Amino acid sequence: MIRPYVCALASALVLLGCGGPRDDKKTEPAAGDSAAKTAEPAQDEGPPVRGDWVVLHSLADPENLNPLTSNDAGASAVLGWIFPPLIRVDPQTLELAPMLARELPEVSEDKLSYTYRLRDDVAFSDGKPMTAEDVLFTLKAIRHPRVNAAPQRNYYDSVKDAVALDPHTVRISLSQVYFLNDWVLGGTSPIPRHYYDPENLLDGIGVAELNAWDSLDPAKKERAERFAKAFNEGFNRKPLGPGAMVLENPKRDFVTGEKIELRHRDGYFAPGHPELGDPWVDRVVYRVINDFDAALASLKAGAIDFMGLRPVQYLKQTNDPRFEERIEKHVDLSSGYTYIGWNQKRAIFADPRVRQALSHLVDKRNVCDKVMLGLADPIESPIYPRRPEYNRDLKPWTFDPARAKALLAEAGWSDTDGDGILDKEIQGKVVPLRFEIVSNSGNDDRKNVGLVAIDEFKRAGIDATFRAVDWSILLDKVRSLDYEAVILGWTSSGTMPPDLFQIWHSSQAVPGGSNYVSFKNAEVDGLLESYRIEFDAAKRKVLYDRVQEILYAEQPYTWVFAPKALSARDRRFRGVKWYPTGGTDQNDWWVPLPLQKYKN
Amino acid sequence: MLAYLVRRTLLFIPTFFGITFIGFAIIHLAPGDPVDLFLSGGLASGTAGISTQKLGDMEKAKTELRRELGLDQPIPVQYARWLGRLVRADLGVSLKDRQPVWDKIRARMPVTIGINVAALLIVYAIALPLGIYSAIRPGSRLDRTLTVTSFMAYSLPSFWIGVLVIVFFCGGDYFAWFPPAGLRSLDYDTEWSIARRLGDISYHLALPMFVTTLGGYAELSRFMRSAMLENARQDFIRTARAKGVPERSVILKHMLRNSLIPMVTILAGVLPGLIGGSVIIERIFSIPGIGQLGYEAVLARDYPVILALFSAASLLTLVGILLADIALALVDPRISFARSNA
Repeated sequence: MIRPYVCALASALVLLGCGGPRDDKKTEPAAGDSAAKTAEPAQDEGPPVRGDWVVLHSLADPENLNPLTSNDAGASAVLGWIFPPLIRVDPQTLELAPMLARELPEVSEDKLSYTYRLRDDVAFSDGKPMTAEDVLFTLKAIRHPRVNAAPQRNYYDSVKDAVALDPHTVRISLSQVYFLNDWVLGGTSPIPRHYYDPENLLDGIGVAELNAWDSLDPAKKERAERFAKAFNEGFNRKPLGPGAMVLENPKRDFVTGEKIELRHRDGYFAPGHPELGDPWVDRVVYRVINDFDAALASLKAGAIDFMGLRPVQYLKQTNDPRFEERIEKHVDLSSGYTYIGWNQKRAIFADPRVRQALSHLVDKRNVCDKVMLGLADPIESPIYPRRPEYNRDLKPWTFDPARAKALLAEAGWSDTDGDGILDKEIQGKVVPLRFEIVSNSGNDDRKNVGLVAIDEFKRAGIDATFRAVDWSILLDKVRSLDYEAVILGWTSSGTMPPDLFQIWHSSQAVPGGSNYVSFKNAEVDGLLESYRIEFDAAKRKVLYDRVQEILYAEQPYTWVFAPKALSARDRRFRGVKWYPTGGTDQNDWWVPLPLQKYKN
Repeated sequence: MLAYLVRRTLLFIPTFFGITFIGFAIIHLAPGDPVDLFLSGGLASGTAGISTQKLGDMEKAKTELRRELGLDQPIPVQYARWLGRLVRADLGVSLKDRQPVWDKIRARMPVTIGINVAALLIVYAIALPLGIYSAIRPGSRLDRTLTVTSFMAYSLPSFWIGVLVIVFFCGGDYFAWFPPAGLRSLDYDTEWSIARRLGDISYHLALPMFVTTLGGYAELSRFMRSAMLENARQDFIRTARAKGVPERSVILKHMLRNSLIPMVTILAGVLPGLIGGSVIIERIFSIPGIGQLGYEAVLARDYPVILALFSAASLLTLVGILLADIALALVDPRISFARSNA
């Protein structure tokens, strides 16, 4: 699935943020003095009350908080609180629902024109109302080729033009039909024009003009260049958006390497509606703790309220009864997976039987139990198992060395020279079955998967080695297709339908493309293409069931496991829900008055 | 003396160019590319990637960004430009977040320098007396105990002992005496009184300081001890004792003063370390110091930041060596900088 989320839709849905559904009971208004008397410490009932802070763990310092140019997960979690999207995905039902837009967009018959009507009661945190001009400005900034937002820009590739029909209506016209446009365009998070472009430099320059950059009028181009420079450099530490949370005083609240502190503001359009992005807590604090052991100690000492745990921490270091008393652990399925990719550009991996054999030699169950300490599940397909698109007919790929040997023999591999390594004549040359698996250094799970795998490969007469290299070097190797096998992972959004095009379509099997195993299959190509323009979810499912069948049979990857997402949180929070596609939403969290720890 | 100083200072210039050019070249020749890392779309973040229709755009964006950052030029040209900026005291902007490099360094410098200076004072304050004591009673039980203990402390790797003290003294599984991470309390307020602010920071830095200094005692106290012992065998000490100078005065005046010479040389050697900071300790205890800045810069191939830190370290090393020579001359009249005529 494309890196599915754009701007804030993105950020919001990762693990935190973004609206969780609430069962729309009439909620008590904010300050809950009356609730104080009745609130029982140990009960989950009662209307939620405002107050307290939630202190979250951040492993690294999000350095850039410009909503368009920032490019790391840490920053997008923070930005999710400040920049809500037009349309949200309900994490319970996975349906699209309006957020800053008044309703779902009006889509033309040919699916090439989307009209969004905005709420008229949304204001940015500086009090200025949000209008269609702001949405238009956001689209311009994204499409502006000089703005450092290339990763985001890709998802708006088909945006041909956009116009404000009236102060609260925007029409976006597209050049390509694509069913995910509902999610992508809806995921747009408006940023305030008056704040990010105080000199009005983009005034009078349309999206269509920015698209045709080379033929842009020189005077306009000069203004646009000036805008881009100011935008790229000037707004990395002081975001301002329409969200319920604000970075009130960047100097005080955004301390490099220490913390980011967001405060709840008055005047958000949906007070008391966590599903619309209004949390119950007064502050959301991200504490930067670079070390997992120190983070766990901080959790135990009460200095942070929520963190992701590592398997060994989950199993061994958090079983003290005193810990359990105050802190609740949670296991969830994560939407990422780890795989071994076989570069089919290398002749030894061109035959599907070889790849099947290699997959038969990877003991996924054992990897899950021993390497991942039981906190992972074997997987068989690139689709998140909790998505409806997942093909439930796929049987677990068995660990079966005998079958592997048979497959290799069938493919013509045998040890002709008696050196203990299988070989085969390929294009007139005797080639041994020898390859190197690479992965990034610093990831012990991947390293262990590699070691477990090569151990079994060796027993089957395959001379495999494992090497961990620095991330940037690995990136180079993979992008230039200069490797034999690689252990990597993909993550995807559980809330958004998958799109496998970028990883599996043959057109993407070029240097720099995501199909770097060079998987090419005409039938899959056709299915992937039809899928992208199919607006009926049931029909899309049929197409993808077949794609998964073929991928399963071809084994371009050996899908190894999906790790579990482990977390721990302070028990004083109520209303914590875990959604079917994974993750919780801290907007829902609240603390009964007697248990509130931090006061404003 | 003055002529020597001038000569030494002039020698700085070619040395500094040499060091920085080699450093510059190594950093730029190392595999990995900041623009790639920044704009690799899905692959870099592990989320599903970028389609090839868009790859063209992506490549264009990369070329643009490289041009904008000047990374499209040959290395000598880039070096000349960088040097030109350096002469004008401009360290450039970080490739990662477009903040001026100097601002980033300045924000982190007080922490690292503070920790290092304090650690240095503590180490000297503890190790020198220990060394003196050991030297006065060489081979005594206490001398042996001190030797063994300080060497044990010296051999403990800081990444290990750091995690250990966090687990034992912070989480509350054993004790919860100290905060496990960070520099300040969450509710730290600049309105607090000076004492309260200092107290809060010291409370947070107690463990990192402990781990930082742990390895330092052995070296220094050993140096001190052996210098003292060497002097104790000298004729002038025997003379002093023979003419009836009180023992206390012999040790503190005659022996100690002469033994301080190597201490000064060591002191000068740690100068670059003062701004260097410890990557390991800063990471384990989540202290936003220079060490972390450098580490993150290397991972992101953030050239301007790496180079700024690298040049600062080279410069301080050079200055440190010079200072050591001068200080040596000041404490030891036997050394002279005048060109000998012989």
